[in-house]
Amino acid sequence: MKVIDVSQTVMQVEKQTSIDKIWEENAVPKHRIQWCPGCGDFGVLAGLKMALTRLGREPHDIFPVGGIGCSGQIRNYLNGNALHGTHGGTLAYALGVRMANPDLVVIALAGDGDTFAIGVENFVHTCRRDPQVTLVVMNNGVYGLTKGQNSPTHGLGRDLGESSEESPPPFDPLRLALSAGATFVAQSFSGDVKHAAQVYVAALKHPGFAFINDFSPCVTYNKFNTYDWFKEHVEHVPEGHDPMSLGSAWSLLNEFEVRGRLPMGIIYSKPRPKRRFAPLPVRGENLNNADIRPLLQMFR
Amino acid sequence: MTVNSLKILIGGVQLRDGVSTVADLLGKVFTRAGLFVLANERNYASTIYGAHQFDPIMVSDSPPLSHGDDRIDILLALEHDSNPDAPEQPNRDTILRHGKSLAPGGILIYDSSTGPVPESEFEAKGIRVFPLPARSVAQRELKKEVVKNTFIVGALFRLLEFDMDHRYFRILLEERFLRKSREMVDLNMEAARRGREAVEDVLAGRGWADSGHRLADVPPSEPVLFLSGTDALCLGAIQAGCRFYAGYPITPASGILEFMDRHLSKFGGRSLQGQNERESIRAALGAGMAGVRSMVGTSGPGLSLKVEEIGLSGAAEIPLVIVNAQRAGPSTGMPTKTEQGDLATTIHAGHGDFPRIVLAPSSLEESYSLIIEAFNLADKYQCPVFFLTDLTLAEVRKTIPESFFSHPVSVKIAPERAFGSNGYRRYAWTDSGISPLIVPGTPGAILKATGTEHDEDGFVTTDPPKRQAAMDKRMRKMETYLREDAREPQVVGDPTGKPVLVGWGSTGPVLLSARERLARDGTDVAVVHFTHLWPFPTQLALPVLKDAAVLIVCEQNYGGQFADILQAHCLLPTRRILKYNGRVFYVSEIVESVGWILEKGAETVRVGEMIPTPTAVHEGD
Repeated sequence: MKVIDVSQTVMQVEKQTSIDKIWEENAVPKHRIQWCPGCGDFGVLAGLKMALTRLGREPHDIFPVGGIGCSGQIRNYLNGNALHGTHGGTLAYALGVRMANPDLVVIALAGDGDTFAIGVENFVHTCRRDPQVTLVVMNNGVYGLTKGQNSPTHGLGRDLGESSEESPPPFDPLRLALSAGATFVAQSFSGDVKHAAQVYVAALKHPGFAFINDFSPCVTYNKFNTYDWFKEHVEHVPEGHDPMSLGSAWSLLNEFEVRGRLPMGIIYSKPRPKRRFAPLPVRGENLNNADIRPLLQMFR
Repeated sequence: MTVNSLKILIGGVQLRDGVSTVADLLGKVFTRAGLFVLANERNYASTIYGAHQFDPIMVSDSPPLSHGDDRIDILLALEHDSNPDAPEQPNRDTILRHGKSLAPGGILIYDSSTGPVPESEFEAKGIRVFPLPARSVAQRELKKEVVKNTFIVGALFRLLEFDMDHRYFRILLEERFLRKSREMVDLNMEAARRGREAVEDVLAGRGWADSGHRLADVPPSEPVLFLSGTDALCLGAIQAGCRFYAGYPITPASGILEFMDRHLSKFGGRSLQGQNERESIRAALGAGMAGVRSMVGTSGPGLSLKVEEIGLSGAAEIPLVIVNAQRAGPSTGMPTKTEQGDLATTIHAGHGDFPRIVLAPSSLEESYSLIIEAFNLADKYQCPVFFLTDLTLAEVRKTIPESFFSHPVSVKIAPERAFGSNGYRRYAWTDSGISPLIVPGTPGAILKATGTEHDEDGFVTTDPPKRQAAMDKRMRKMETYLREDAREPQVVGDPTGKPVLVGWGSTGPVLLSARERLARDGTDVAVVHFTHLWPFPTQLALPVLKDAAVLIVCEQNYGGQFADILQAHCLLPTRRILKYNGRVFYVSEIVESVGWILEKGAETVRVGEMIPTPTAVHEGD
C-alpha cells in the first residue's frame, strides 16, 4: 500500500509557489531590458525561468556567466548571481566557478560570435573537460550588437554562391561539439519556449557539460533566418532516437541535413564517469590551519 | 688552504651530462653538512637536449650575502666530447666558456674519457687540473653510464676532503635508490670510490699534497632545507590559503604549475593546466569570483596574452594574484635567461584606468613571505595583485633553516557577510573604495559582477555621474592602499649626502655586496631597495631619497624602467646601471659602473661583455 506524507506535499507546494514568484520577477525593471521587441533572447530568458522554477532553484544558487553581445545581457535580466567578463571567455570563467564550487548551478549564456569565433578555443576544450556547466548559445548568425556583421554560423540554409576567404560557409556547432567529446548536445528554438525549457531542464540535470544550440532569431539584422523560416525548418528529434548512442547522434545529424531540416531536442546525452570534488575552501573559512611541515620534508 | 668558502661551476651538455643531477646532489649534501649553499645563476637553454648548461654554486659556512662575481674556484666540466665550433681546442665547451673565470689557485676537473685538454694555460695561473675518466670508467668498468655523476661527486669530495667517511653521501644514495635496489646503491658507492681513487692517482702523480681547498662539515643545530625560489613561492601561496592555481607551461613559471599539480590537492585545492594562457587566467577569475583564493603564474609572453583579463579583474573587482616570473623579452626573447624587463607592462597593461598592486620580492625568503602579503592585499583591495619575480628568483636554490617556515603566518581574510536592509550591493560606493565582497551562494544576497561600467548593484550604466562615481570609487582603493599598506623601501646605510644604489626585485642581494666592496675601497654608498612598486609609494620614498648625493638605479633591462617611474614620481634625477644580456649582475660590474658614474660622470652604464670585433657588413653581399 502506498503511504502519502501529506505534510511534505504541502511544504513542497508552498516552496514551489514562492520560487515561481522569484523567477517571475526580473532583476531589472521592464524598461531596462534592452533587446529589440521580438528578439529571440526573450524566449531563452522565459525558457530558463521555467526550467529553474521546475528545478526549484533559488537566485543565490545559480551562477550565470554572460558573454559579450546582446545575448550576454540576459545575465542582468535573470534574477540571480552573475559574472560578465570578456568576449569569448564565458566558458573559461564558468569552468573556474564550477571547479571552485560544485554546489552552484553554473550556466554560460553567450552568442554564436562569442562561442564559435573569438571563444572557440574555450568551446572545444570545455567539451573535453566536461565541467557541469550548461551552455546556451543564442545563435542568430550575426553580431547584432555591432550592427549585423557575419558570425561563423552565418548563412544557415542559404545558397551562398561562390565562397571566399572573407565569407566562408557556416559550420555546424553540433558536429564540432560531438567531435570534441561533448557529453550533452541539444538544439532548441526560441520560438518554442515550452520545448526549449524541457531541453534546459535536461541540460541542467546533466552531470557534465551540456551544450544547447538555441536558434534565437535576430529580428533586426538577420532578415533571412526569421521565426517563420525556422518554423518551416525545425523538426523534433524522433521519439525512437537513442541519445546515448554516438553513432545514432551522427546519423541523425546527417539524415536531417540531407532533408534540409534542423533537429530540435536532445541529440546526444551520455554522462562520463567522473571524479567528485568537494567545494574548495573559500574566503572566510579558516585557511590558517594549513600545515606545510610534511611538505617541507622533501627538501631536507 | 681555503676552508669552507667556494664557488663551484658545473657545466656540460644539457640532459646528457648530468649538470642538474650533480648540482642538486651537491646542494643537498652540503646543506645537510651544515654548510650554506647558494645557487643563484642557473643557466640552461631553451632546448631539451644538446645545448650548454651550467650551474654555479656557492658554498660557505655562513649564509652568503649574494652570488658575488663570476669568478669560480672549481670548474667541473662534465662533457666528454669536443666542441665542434672549436676543433683546435678538443674537448669541451665548458672549459672554453668558463676556464677564464677560474681564480688563481683554483681547480679544474674534467672528464678525460676522450682525451686530455692542454693544461699549460691553467698551470701558469696556478690552477690544478684533474683529468678524470668518469664516463669511460662508468661505461666500461661499471657498465652503467649514468654513474659517471657519482664518480665525479666522489672525486670532488676527495679533493675537498669532505665526507671522507661517505656518511652523507651514502644516506642520500640510500634514500634515492634503496627502494629500487640495493645494487644501485652499491654501484653508486663503487663509482664514487673510483672517483676518489682517480683523484688520489692525480695527486700522487703530480706530487700535490692536497687540492688547496677544503670543506669541513658543521653539523647543523636545527633542521635545514635546500629548496628553490619556486618552491618557496608555492609554499607561501599554500600558506596564504591559495586553493586554486591555473597556469600554462611557460619558462620560468612552469615550476609553479608542476608544484601545484603535485601538492595543492593535499590542502583541498585544485590546480589547472589551462589549454592556453587565457583559459588559465579566466578560470582563476571564475574561482576567485566563487570565493577561492586564486593565483595564476606566467612569464612575459603569457602576461601579454592575459592582459584583457587583468582589466576585468580591475573593473569587476575580482581578487587575483598574478605571478610574472620575468624572462628576457621582447616577444619570445630568451626564454631561459633572466631580465627585469616587464615592469612597465605590468604597471600599465590593460586599457583604461584601474587599480592594481605590484610587489617584487628580492630573495627566496621574500618569495615566501611577500606572496602571503600579496594574497591578503588581493582580498582586501579586490584587484589584480602582481607578484613580479624573474628567472633568477624562480631558479635560485638555497639553504634555509626549516624554522624559517614555521613563523606564524597572518592570513587576513575579511569576509563581508553582513549587508544592510537595502540588500547587498556588490559595488557600494564606500569612503575607502572597498566594497563588501560576499561568497556567491550566500542566501539572500545576489552578486552581479561585470567588466562593463556599472552602478553599485553591478548593473550596466553609462550615466556620466555614475560612471565618475564608479571610477573614483575603484581608484580610491589605491589611496587607501598607500595610506594603510604601502611599505617604505629597505634602506641599508645612511643615504644622506651619499651616492645611493637603488634597486628592486632580484638585484637586492648583489647591491648589498657591492656596497660592502665599495666601502672596503673607500666609497661609502647606501642601498635603497623597493619591494612595493605600485602604486608607487612617493610619500615613503621621497624622504629616503631626496637628500642623496646621486641616485644610481641598477636594473636588468634596457632603458631603466624603474628609474623612469622613480623620476616621474619623486621628480629626482637618476643615473642608471643597466644589464640585459641574460646574465645576472655581478658585484664587480656594479662596483666598476659606480666608478664610471662617480668619477667620470657617466649618466648610464650598460654592463656586459662586448662582442670583441664588430662584424663587417658589405653592401651587395
